[in-house]
Amino acid sequence: MVATLLQLLARRLVVSIPILLLVCALLFAILRVLPVDIAAMSMPPTATIAEIEAKRREMGLDQPLPQQFLIWLEDAAHGRFGRSIQLRRDAGSLVADTLPATIELAVAAMVIATVLGLGGGLLLFHVRGTKLEIVGEVASTVLLSIPEFLWALFLLFIFGVALHLLPFTGRLPPEFVRPNVTGFLLLDTFLVWRPDMFWAAVKHMILPACALGLAFSPAIMRVLRSSLLDVYQEDFIAQLRLRGLSEGRILIGHALKNAILPTLTLMGVQFGFLFSGTLLVEVIYSYPGMGNLMVDAVRNADLPIIQAVGLTYCIVVLLITIVVDCLYLVLNPKLRAR
Amino acid sequence: MGTLNRCLRSGRVMVGLGMILIVLVCALFAPFLAPSDPNEQDLLSILLPPAWMAGGDSAFPLGTDSLGRDELSRLIYGARTAMTVAVVASLGAMAIGSILAHLAGYFGGVVDWIIGRVVDVWMSFPPVILSLILMVGLGTGLDKVILAIILVDWTRFCRVLRSEVLVVRQRDYVAAARLIGFSHWRTITREVFPATLPLLITLVSLEMGIAVVVEAILSFVGLGVGANQPAWGQMIADARQHIYDSAGGLFFPILAIFLAVTGFNLLGDGLRRTLDVRLINAREQ
Repeated sequence: MVATLLQLLARRLVVSIPILLLVCALLFAILRVLPVDIAAMSMPPTATIAEIEAKRREMGLDQPLPQQFLIWLEDAAHGRFGRSIQLRRDAGSLVADTLPATIELAVAAMVIATVLGLGGGLLLFHVRGTKLEIVGEVASTVLLSIPEFLWALFLLFIFGVALHLLPFTGRLPPEFVRPNVTGFLLLDTFLVWRPDMFWAAVKHMILPACALGLAFSPAIMRVLRSSLLDVYQEDFIAQLRLRGLSEGRILIGHALKNAILPTLTLMGVQFGFLFSGTLLVEVIYSYPGMGNLMVDAVRNADLPIIQAVGLTYCIVVLLITIVVDCLYLVLNPKLRAR
Repeated sequence: MGTLNRCLRSGRVMVGLGMILIVLVCALFAPFLAPSDPNEQDLLSILLPPAWMAGGDSAFPLGTDSLGRDELSRLIYGARTAMTVAVVASLGAMAIGSILAHLAGYFGGVVDWIIGRVVDVWMSFPPVILSLILMVGLGTGLDKVILAIILVDWTRFCRVLRSEVLVVRQRDYVAAARLIGFSHWRTITREVFPATLPLLITLVSLEMGIAVVVEAILSFVGLGVGANQPAWGQMIADARQHIYDSAGGLFFPILAIFLAVTGFNLLGDGLRRTLDVRLINAREQ
């Protein structure tokens, strides 16, 4: 079991390497066709042309493009993306500072999406064949069409502006001084034992996390429903009924186990999109994560940050799909045997 | 005619079409519908609430933004931007995606492998990130937004259509077409393409919804169509900055995006159900 898991993990990681290399190449290519002079941008405005030329040589920009790509790749592998032009800080460390906030948001949203998705899927399945079925279907179509961008704005408008129930800017009210132990705010406020601050941080998290969770749950609902419908066509369900098991036990103990696998495959894809969806939600809620860093960098054409953040997003999304694949293996007895 | 009838009787298709029609009419007849110039600034009446609320002005039915521009007029002209992007970008993405999908699915082998790997790499880039990076390279403007959406979203068409082409290629009438001497080109355009058309239409409708959202997102971030072209995303960004003074400014563009996106999705979903031969056969049995 562990051996198969490790084998799969190794295989997936090996397959990811060429994909990652090509992603790097694409990132490099897009940013190299930009009409901006990286060397000139990283120098103070008073620099002479000779100084800029020297900098260009130092950065390897006078070399042929493939050579430049190799230099860039080596730097990227070491986390060296250069200094941010606008923030005057190392781009790699800026990513390291903001990544925990984004991970916290994404994890909270994934929990919400999973709970809503599985719950909603069971509900949709429960109303099958009744008059409510059509309501459920239309509702899930409409929900499916609302992206996280709109959810974030809806929730901000309703709970933040109209009802004044929840805060919708940043992560903490200004009167708190942010503790810094692990970089994960929720964990840190807990570690320094500040329940008031923990609660404040949780309240700031509710709207953005719900916006993402709501956007990514309808697809999970629908796949769970349709795979449950498939499972109920199988003979073993009828046999369980004949054995006198209650409908509840058939559903929870047997049908769900079989229906969860296709759902899990979809959740892997969904969570990859969810992670990149944090970007917009962060911008809308002024949440200080990687998304806000990226958008600021994009507005100012701050190349080191764009490269560092862009690559980080791709790597995390790849990792999520690998983790979900492994989970699939753990849960699927058919694959385990081999 | 059966297909058209089925479409007309489908609730989803009709409701979706109705919603899109509202936006489309606004887009087409914007100069006649808008009460004033969407870019005209009235700095003496900034951030006004809608006319029916306290402090509203009947000259600005839905209020004004932070530069004193009429919200209603911007909303109506914004429909123009949104619909232009939706139609042109999704047709562009469709063209690239479906041509590659037909080549990959029909010829298989090396062609299929290469196209498949390109799609894989492309899709390992989260779409939001890729479109932002592209906009940095392209700069702002309506044409740039359209180009960015095409470059990001052609993979959606390519991946889905390829598997459809693989199925269609196995059919006997395709083999028969080859046997009576049809060229590859003629077989693809006359025999394979008509069979994938229903799926293609559905995908285009869904893609239009996506394009509306992406345009709004890019405009919201400030990398969209440029400052002097009204767009819903810009209106939202403006209202977000002045959120305590201009709740209406947030509400109406959100509603407009919702209307357009839900309309395209209902239409797409309805078309999928009415055009999919397998679903229809299953129902009639």
